Amino acid sequence: MRDNTLKYLLVLPAVLVVFATAIWPLVESLRLSFTVGRLNKPDFPQGYLGFENYTWAFWEEPAFWNSVWVTGIYTVLTVALTTVLALGLAMLLAPGGRLRSGVQTLLILPFAMSPALIGVSFRFMFNPEFGLFDAFFGAVFPPLADISWLAHPQLAFAVCVMADVWGWIPFLTLVLIGGLASVPQETIEAAQVDGASGWRVFRDVTLPQLAPVLAVVIILKSIFSLKTFDQIFMLTNGGPGTATQTLSHYIYFNGMKYGQIGYSASVAWLMVIPMIFLTYAYAKFVFRKAS
Amino acid sequence: MTGRQKKQIVDAIQIVLILIAIFIMLVPIIWIFLAAFKNHVDVYQLKLLFTPTLKNFGIVFDAPYYLGAKLINSTVVALVTVVIAIPIATMAAYSFSRFRLTGETAMLVMILATQFVPAVVIILPFFVMFRDIGLLDTRSGLILVNLAIVMPFAIWMIKGFIDGIPLDTEEAAMVDGSSRIQVILNIVLPMAAPGLLTAGIFCFIIAWNEFLFALILTNKDAVTLPIGLALFKGEEGDLWNLLSAAGIIIMLPMFVLALIIRKYFVQGMTMGAVR
Repeated sequence: MRDNTLKYLLVLPAVLVVFATAIWPLVESLRLSFTVGRLNKPDFPQGYLGFENYTWAFWEEPAFWNSVWVTGIYTVLTVALTTVLALGLAMLLAPGGRLRSGVQTLLILPFAMSPALIGVSFRFMFNPEFGLFDAFFGAVFPPLADISWLAHPQLAFAVCVMADVWGWIPFLTLVLIGGLASVPQETIEAAQVDGASGWRVFRDVTLPQLAPVLAVVIILKSIFSLKTFDQIFMLTNGGPGTATQTLSHYIYFNGMKYGQIGYSASVAWLMVIPMIFLTYAYAKFVFRKAS
Repeated sequence: MTGRQKKQIVDAIQIVLILIAIFIMLVPIIWIFLAAFKNHVDVYQLKLLFTPTLKNFGIVFDAPYYLGAKLINSTVVALVTVVIAIPIATMAAYSFSRFRLTGETAMLVMILATQFVPAVVIILPFFVMFRDIGLLDTRSGLILVNLAIVMPFAIWMIKGFIDGIPLDTEEAAMVDGSSRIQVILNIVLPMAAPGLLTAGIFCFIIAWNEFLFALILTNKDAVTLPIGLALFKGEEGDLWNLLSAAGIIIMLPMFVLALIIRKYFVQGMTMGAVR
């Protein structure tokens, strides 16, 4: 067979699978978002509504805006905290040596943990009666001693953020260690010889060199933060009330619990829009590296 | 203070910070490991010394929890997903790596982008379709949707490995009269084997830990391990010792697999944006 035919035959199955499992559901979700789409009624999806589901979300549903707000704050906080802490840890671990390499190996563990299990383990750690973190925070800040974390809206949100940051720091750290390794050592030494302080070297030499890797990390983490579902579901299930209800959770609830597939598809598509921008930015980095 | 003393102090501070970080990182994991070997009463106290028991692991496999069935589901779903995904991904990856295709960049971007589509968007139409054709609560249905999350990783990861295989052996074989198919089977596959294994393990971990699809598509027969965690809610709250035992069964095999492929984890997750 000629290469010219073969090369397309080789990619065909993969392209078909991606079409069937990702492109089709995207398009079908868009179609459903314009329908009534009640699961519990006959003749699904019960006719077209135009943009009514979207306008409903925008003007009639405070719960939608609540989940937008929760997801937004959650994303900003988790991205910022994870990136800063991971950068700090990467700087500490980058020099290598036995202790540091050992720690780098251990960093894989939280990352191989199912996010659902991370949610469970943090619910365990913050149990008001026998949670270890609960006891720790109670000992350090006595006012928090008698508080039931997951029953308190802001504190439950804080626990969700902590669980997320805990789960993602290891991965970001590993990426940043890789990034730090590519910062030329001579430049750093030259700056040190010139008498630059540690902070100046970091700000003027390391950080600019690390910028592309940092950008990739921030984009990737933003995408995963925006999509957050598993941990929230196991940790708080969106509660108390809707204090920790992210967009994914809101969509899940409306679609699966209330059977409003049409409406939840419209919210899901509103969520796709920021993803398009982030993916575009990400693809630019991937292809710049490739060429 | 001399420069040397100052350096020693800085080093000591760094070591302390690293130890604190390691402690924070391991404590939730260790706590689960401890709780899994505790008796019901010991869980409700913050004590480190207790008489360990293996009872919890027996209970979770018994009625009414039957974790064994979930373990089989998880294994079958993850394994079949990988077995389907890796050959398809390898073929595509080879083509992307070695040839210029019309619309190549568009295809690669599309594959990359599907990774970032929120799972809730993908699952709504599949739920409706599976309801109509009777694929709800089946392993086959779960495998099909799992392909959606696994394929992009597999293609990009394997493409990275094949990009790294030098062209000259392939060209020499072609000059000697081998066909392209022979070259792929006899030269490229053996050389790419470690990469394929790595990608396979990576995808297995992703499929094993997958939560949202299984939550929505399964309710009894095809329930996987992460969804099985929800079983351990007793009338008086969570049964932490059982939950922990199940947690170990979920995470321990993944820890082992992750350690095997740890060198490639970063590259795989970032799809080559960071090497």
